[in-house]
Amino acid sequence: MLYIKCPHCGMRPQIEFSYGGDATVKRPELNKEISDQEWDDFVYNRKSLRGKHLELWQHLSGCRQWIKVERDTATHEIFKTFKANEEVA
Amino acid sequence: MSQISALANVHTTGQFGDYGGKNENDLLKISENKNLLIVQIVQYKDSKTLFENINIDGLKLKNEALSVVCNNDTRILWNAPNNWLLVSKKLSLMKNILDEFKDTDFAVTDLSHSRAIIEIEGKDVKEVLKKGCPFNFDILEKNNSVNSTYNGIAFTVDMLDDNPNKVRLFSLRSFGESLYHSITDASLEFGFKSI
Repeated sequence: MLYIKCPHCGMRPQIEFSYGGDATVKRPELNKEISDQEWDDFVYNRKSLRGKHLELWQHLSGCRQWIKVERDTATHEIFKTFKANEEVA
Repeated sequence: MSQISALANVHTTGQFGDYGGKNENDLLKISENKNLLIVQIVQYKDSKTLFENINIDGLKLKNEALSVVCNNDTRILWNAPNNWLLVSKKLSLMKNILDEFKDTDFAVTDLSHSRAIIEIEGKDVKEVLKKGCPFNFDILEKNNSVNSTYNGIAFTVDMLDDNPNKVRLFSLRSFGESLYHSITDASLEFGFKSI
């Protein structure tokens, strides 16, 4: 079983978490004119990377907080986890 | 006010499972606890109030994972950052809680009627929990609590004692019967006394 270190609770099994998608996607700035393509990219279009990936997960059956997880999509190795408001270098 | 049992349809007293030839004191003891005040306390994100200054039944909130602050009647379980579950035998404590936690800074919700509570006592308690939950219960000490899932059912474990092990399990009231079945099924191999 995959174990994820929640930055709030500590090491927990993956079944307590829910996957929340790509954590690198930024919402377009408010009140800024954007093209349909930019909006499409924000809402739908995702890269399907093989390798290190920054993801959002929610600790649904634990503290219910959203967190960021740096994970290898090929090996499932988890490198680091961050609080949702933490900036990732 | 006595609360209506969440497990009345499933909880029957007696000895079950592999209890033959064992000392009654060695059996797991499973019971329902239904007369507790359960209150969820959440501090709003924009609140500037220092929760450390608030005193409830002689206890102060602690924002630390797994932590439980307690006295003989009341236990305050850490649920999440700035989120606690207060469990008390003193049903009259609610007024005091509402006075202390101002509604401009805290969301206070009485969950007393929406939880099923199962208590298990005995040396094999952690083995029963491990059967349905992949959390490492070996690190759980007296006065620790944890939120997790047991056979897919979200539940909260409050470690009341460690000699012998005694835990209190909380689940949503509507999942209470399912959790009870899962726990008692897992307890069969050790033999248990339902009280």
